[in-house]
Amino acid sequence: MTVDDARAHVLEQARARGIAAELVAETGRELTARAHARRIEHLTQAVRGGVGVRVIVDGRVGYGYTEELTADALDWMLREAVENAGLQQEAGGFLPAGTATPRAEMVGDSLTASLETKLQTALGFEGTLREDKRVKQVLIAAYGEREWDVAVASTEGAEGSYRRGVAGLMASIVMQDGTSLKQGWDDTWATDVRQLDPGRTALEFTERTGRLLGARRLATGRYRAYFEPKAFAALLGAFTPMWSGKAVAEKKSPLAGRLGEAIASGLVTIVDDPTLPDGLASRPVDSEGTPANRTVLVDGGVLRSYLTNSETAAQLGLPNTGHAWRGYRGTLGVAPSNLFLAPGQGIALQEGVIITDLSGLHAGTNAITGEFSIQALGLWVEGGAVAYPVEDFAVAGTFLTLLQQITAVGDRLQWEYGMRVAYGMPMVEVRELSFAGA
Amino acid sequence: MLPEPLAGDVITRAMRGGATFAEIYVERWRRRALRVLDGSVKEATSGLEFGAGIRLFFGEDVAYAYTNDLTARSLFEATDTLLRARGGAGRVDDRGRGGLDFRRQAAAGRHTPAVAFEAHPKRYRLDRLREADAGARVGVEIVQVESTLLEWEQDVLVATSDAVWTEDRRVRTRLSVSAIAQDGGEVQTGVAWQGLSVGLELLDRFPPREMGRQAGTQALTNLRARPAPAGTMPVVIGNAFGGVIFHEAVGHLLETTSVAKKASVLSDKIGEQVASSVVTYIDDGTTPGAWGSSEFDDEGAPTRRTVLIEGGVLRSYMVDRWGALRTGYAPTGSGRRENYTFAPTSRMRNTFVAPGQATIDAVFGGVDEGLYAKVMRGGQVKPGSGEYNFGVQEAYMVRSGKLAEPVRGAMLVGKGPETLQRVVAVSGDLATAAGMCGSLSGSIPTEVGQPHVLISAIVVGGEAA
Repeated sequence: MTVDDARAHVLEQARARGIAAELVAETGRELTARAHARRIEHLTQAVRGGVGVRVIVDGRVGYGYTEELTADALDWMLREAVENAGLQQEAGGFLPAGTATPRAEMVGDSLTASLETKLQTALGFEGTLREDKRVKQVLIAAYGEREWDVAVASTEGAEGSYRRGVAGLMASIVMQDGTSLKQGWDDTWATDVRQLDPGRTALEFTERTGRLLGARRLATGRYRAYFEPKAFAALLGAFTPMWSGKAVAEKKSPLAGRLGEAIASGLVTIVDDPTLPDGLASRPVDSEGTPANRTVLVDGGVLRSYLTNSETAAQLGLPNTGHAWRGYRGTLGVAPSNLFLAPGQGIALQEGVIITDLSGLHAGTNAITGEFSIQALGLWVEGGAVAYPVEDFAVAGTFLTLLQQITAVGDRLQWEYGMRVAYGMPMVEVRELSFAGA
Repeated sequence: MLPEPLAGDVITRAMRGGATFAEIYVERWRRRALRVLDGSVKEATSGLEFGAGIRLFFGEDVAYAYTNDLTARSLFEATDTLLRARGGAGRVDDRGRGGLDFRRQAAAGRHTPAVAFEAHPKRYRLDRLREADAGARVGVEIVQVESTLLEWEQDVLVATSDAVWTEDRRVRTRLSVSAIAQDGGEVQTGVAWQGLSVGLELLDRFPPREMGRQAGTQALTNLRARPAPAGTMPVVIGNAFGGVIFHEAVGHLLETTSVAKKASVLSDKIGEQVASSVVTYIDDGTTPGAWGSSEFDDEGAPTRRTVLIEGGVLRSYMVDRWGALRTGYAPTGSGRRENYTFAPTSRMRNTFVAPGQATIDAVFGGVDEGLYAKVMRGGQVKPGSGEYNFGVQEAYMVRSGKLAEPVRGAMLVGKGPETLQRVVAVSGDLATAAGMCGSLSGSIPTEVGQPHVLISAIVVGGEAA
């Protein structure tokens, strides 16, 4: 059975049994070419797909999914989902009244190039990385592309589908200068393969890691901090669950009950916009088929909105912002798409630490309390200029305090992409942050 | 899961097309997840993941394809796509002529669960999770309790051009409990979790009520804790999940994924003293019922016990098929992957620091002023520079060898090779804990373990005054 057949089969079965059901069907395609020592050492070409169902039985919600698209497996999935729904006592579950949105074909010819051209891209990329004499080893140098065909359909009439894709370059390199060793892990993504520039990206990546060689230990203290876009994207990404309507409804967000309050410096405006033309994570509908909307989360420091879906909007008595997220294997949640911190007037370096990399965010951040303590690398700044690189330290604090202490915002966005979310970040200056080191 | 003649045909086709090695990995994975918040079910889900991965070697180069469509047409097309990229599709030579006579290796049943996937009504699971909720309510400050139960039944088939045919069933169960404590505007969290390669008997071996109590007590402790200090100091690392420090600081540096490319700071160091002499570090994929155990690895090789470091001397790396080809070291049954969408790489299984001679009192006695990192969170490492970190979930100050007030968790950071030399004492109370480890071949269940360990200097990333 194809994914489309499977979707139709399950909806038909659900209707016949009088069950409200919503299906997410997805087919993903992957191409990854890793170059090493001027050969393609690892090539992956693949397709993966499946269907996932959310059912409502007497107001109770249950989930199931399958990648085996046989009638037996689909029936098992629906049976399990109904049984799972039977475990819930709360009976407020519902499927949103459906709207039909026209299919969006967002890939076009943007990923069209011969396989040979793409392999050459990976080879050229690795070759340029190795031109820097400080590059000791290239662990990964790859060209990759991902494409998703996503469809949502429900017994309540929701219908939406789209196909989108991204292409990117990824590298992990080990660089050496004397006894100093640094390993970089960088990637860059575009919606069109022709926007990639392997030569320039290779130079950027070697510069990013190379400038950290010869780092000195940083003395423990409180310094002004300048977050580079990549580092701030990682930090904001770890705390994005604070804006999740689901976390707010479950009382797991420090932002709960604070709509309309100033939660950040007046320089902070945060927006999620799934409708951005050329956005790395743009989409016409969310996972419930709700049409995509631009949502201002923080406006001049004031908390304006959470990210919601139909369920959390109802629980909170707030509008549905159209940020439902459910992969076919998952349960209903919310997720941002193209999330960005609006650019400001720019930053003039004075004295402090430029934070270039953060590491271990999954273990060092707590989105329920807002606290963080994270390993970092950076550059010491004095007299308005970079003096030398610094290492072996961690930064700590509370994310909302940090947002309040933002004293300047850079004037240009850099887009980072991962886990299907794009983060557009400028450089960010924070008045004072705790650094633990020597 | 796949007819033997079809597996043989796919492999033969690949070898005729110029592959020097061919492997097909088939997976059928049933999963259940149940999340209960304050006693009521938030999400209950059941899933079936099903697919195949075809891996071809051309010398040391690898091509990989995966699909959910296991018909002959689809598998042949996937194979041909890989061969075309090498210019070899449609080629016919003598290799693989006459088919394959697979040597079937059956699993010995070392990790067979006592309770099967289908056992017990779903309601039983909910009742057991409610015990965790009750156990966690250790004070009026506990405002929320959440518990999650994961159940996996993963069937794996590996067939290769070396005529290997292995089938393995991995049953795994994991329970985690988290609690939130609140006092006025102050909010803190506590967690407890356990996972084993067993069925629902996990809940008898680790009663949910007791796990709830641990999570609740930890949340209360953190509520009373002040921020951890900032700076470099001696640290006693707790047993069980404390082993995550060695997992990050040394384990990842011993995988041939990095070692083969000399992208690990511990490349080419077999026989050298890489750690303090009190450190013996072992990776054992055979431990019955352990979270990271399996009878065969994801390349069809039997798992084994591998001594990595003995008395501080590096004895072995963790070697998969590709790593063996690149380095010449013998494979150690360490080829692992998250699922069929990943080609396997060398990974840890159940990795632990062997018990040492020091008493607990001696371990703490070595600290004038420092930190006791009792319960850890996860971590991360860059093998090429050895720079690692891991988060601390529950910690206390240590003064004059005595446990003092609690401090809120902080990240510990350092460089692996330096930290290994700074291990001053290892006690005898080895314990293990379940974790999920993410790397090139995805996120896989790995167990970490250690006794209490004293490290003379680590950066503690608390709040600077």
